[in-house]
Amino acid sequence: MVFSFISHELKAFWRSKNTGKSIAIRVVMGILILYLLLNVLVAGFFLDKILEHAFPNEELIIPFCGIILIYFLFDLLMRLQFQELPTLRVQPYLHLPIKRNFLVRYLALTATLSVFNLWPFVLFLPFIFKVLAPDSGTVVTLAFIIAIAGFTVFNNYLALYLKRRSNINGWVFLVSAAVLILAIASDFLWHIISLQNISYAFFGRLLIMPALAFLPVIIAVGMYYLNFIYLKQNLYLEDLTAHKASSYKSSTDIPFLSRFGSVGDLAANEIKLVLRNKRSRSALVMGLFFMFYGLIFYPNPHYGEGYKVFVGMFMTGIFIINYGQFMFGWQATHFDGLLVSKINFSDFIKAKYLLFTGISTVFFILTTPYVYFGWRVVMIHFVMYVWNIGVNTTMVLYFANRNFKRLDLSKGAAFNWEGVGATQWILSLPLIITPFIIYGPFALLKHADIGLALVALVGITGILTRNYWIKVLEADYYTKRYQIAEGFRNK
Amino acid sequence: MMIEIKNLKKIYSGVTVVNVPQLSISKGESVGLVGNNGAGKTTLFRMILDLIRPDTGEVLSNGEVAAGNENWKTYTASYLDEGFLIDYLTPEEYLYFIGGLHQQSKATVDEALLKLADFFNDEILKKGKYIRDLSKGNQCKVGVASCMLQNPQLLMLDEPFANIDPSTQFRLKNMLKEANKTKGVTTIVSSHDLNHITDVCDRILLMEKGMIIKDIATNSSTLKELENYFGVGQVFEEQVVMDKVDEEENH
Repeated sequence: MVFSFISHELKAFWRSKNTGKSIAIRVVMGILILYLLLNVLVAGFFLDKILEHAFPNEELIIPFCGIILIYFLFDLLMRLQFQELPTLRVQPYLHLPIKRNFLVRYLALTATLSVFNLWPFVLFLPFIFKVLAPDSGTVVTLAFIIAIAGFTVFNNYLALYLKRRSNINGWVFLVSAAVLILAIASDFLWHIISLQNISYAFFGRLLIMPALAFLPVIIAVGMYYLNFIYLKQNLYLEDLTAHKASSYKSSTDIPFLSRFGSVGDLAANEIKLVLRNKRSRSALVMGLFFMFYGLIFYPNPHYGEGYKVFVGMFMTGIFIINYGQFMFGWQATHFDGLLVSKINFSDFIKAKYLLFTGISTVFFILTTPYVYFGWRVVMIHFVMYVWNIGVNTTMVLYFANRNFKRLDLSKGAAFNWEGVGATQWILSLPLIITPFIIYGPFALLKHADIGLALVALVGITGILTRNYWIKVLEADYYTKRYQIAEGFRNK
Repeated sequence: MMIEIKNLKKIYSGVTVVNVPQLSISKGESVGLVGNNGAGKTTLFRMILDLIRPDTGEVLSNGEVAAGNENWKTYTASYLDEGFLIDYLTPEEYLYFIGGLHQQSKATVDEALLKLADFFNDEILKKGKYIRDLSKGNQCKVGVASCMLQNPQLLMLDEPFANIDPSTQFRLKNMLKEANKTKGVTTIVSSHDLNHITDVCDRILLMEKGMIIKDIATNSSTLKELENYFGVGQVFEEQVVMDKVDEEENH
């Protein structure tokens, strides 16, 4: 039975409609993961050196025991965001004469086949063998390996359990990441509470009492059974599908937009689209993450002004780039409806401009605290904001006419490659390069101000000539619309 | 002439799915479209609504070529499938939006919806659900309601009876008849339910493999004629055919 399940899954993979694409994506993902794994392996191999450098006054083993807990907290957070739930696949087997226990066990056990379960070993094993084994002997080494394995499995099932019980969205992730970072800061910077001490309280004792290693194994087994029981009790279609019986959904108005007539109505609909669907919502939340992008570059004077142009464009325009690259795929499910409705395409496009302008304005306002790094930063942000709403919007919409891929809005955006095609890759080039073609030469000749002024000028020209571009886009759209609608109908 | 089709053809990978050399539908007609799965009903609908590009030929709506034209959208209301609904809106939001496209205020929409209260049967409005969380039948109700809201001159529905309950089917039939008889709305409806379609429509088009093979005015014998075509009531003959197949397999 296990073999036929596995063979079904292999067939599902090979026979899925976009197999070619998903193999390519998997190869890319695989290389990415390998690269990360290699990085972690190097970090793991030099963990003793790193710790020595970071904690010069302590014996190596103490900070090592201290960081394990912190690592697993991060691990849990990452799992909550990125680890996939293996659920829906059992649906076609539920009504067949297959024992529920078997199905559940299959589900629960295949859940351990995740790359996430490799990280802790790659990171910690080299240190254990290099430092711990020669000092403390085989028994303690084994105890550490068992304990780390136990915590890994525990985390694996805890993350799945939490994900099954509640809808973890981007906001929860943001908040808990902030809490964790605060906790670590309060450990290392302010010395209020110490995660390190808690961690050491367990792993330090492990050195003396190796038998304690069975504690994590016990909680791991406990967590597995909790998962098992929960899954078994909820092995019903309604629990397996994403939308559970949910709260009352109220109708809302966006009064500000209603003054724009049917263009405003269309923009209001799209704002609702963004907020009410998982994938678009996470695109927005990711955009909010980007508000911290400047913190990576600005504190360091080593990075020149070119970075500010780049970062400014991303921070004020991230929504245009991140959301716009999949247009009009967001509306794929009801595109036929839009086509037969009494909607002018020029209104449709104007609504997109309105949406982009509105949200970019909000994002620009959110970046104003960067005034801390000088007024010039805000000025550059403003120039790039003008560029974004003047030029990038039109560019994104031009490529939207060439995007024929349907999106499933109910899935998260992280590591979601659905709807990604050549269009997105081609689109990213002009988006990133064009401002530098204008700004770059002047910056190199030490006339950055003229470069910035030109960028602003082109942006303003773009805004002033919008009506012309709308006509261009409309004419272009009429040659493409059957192809767009056809593509969107293909599930 | 409401709809005029000339030499319309659609070919998918070598297979002709629609082939209609000539078809005219006058204003005020009620037309029923029947045919087995794959006969080309939905494709024909989509071409009339300019959603698919025909390989040859054209569709005239009210004397104007429909393709690339926006005028027909002002007087045509249609519901083919859930793809016509904006699924992340509540039914109210969607209906207000559609009303707004036809310059109707919320009050006007509310008034129109009041008349649909029976049809909705308390399952659509003020339920606190997005359209995507409604059942297929209830989604169909929202789609039909949005059509009615637009006060169309041409109404096109693809298998509206398929997912709705018997009471709603009955109410929908009455709504269609009323729209056609009292308001003069041209209706084009497809269905697999021969009883309903002969009851609602004055003219039946029978499609097979993309062609319209029969074009008949409904009278008392139409239902019988259609049933004969589809093989309803020929249980015995089918049995004989099955037996033959079995015998062949045995050999």
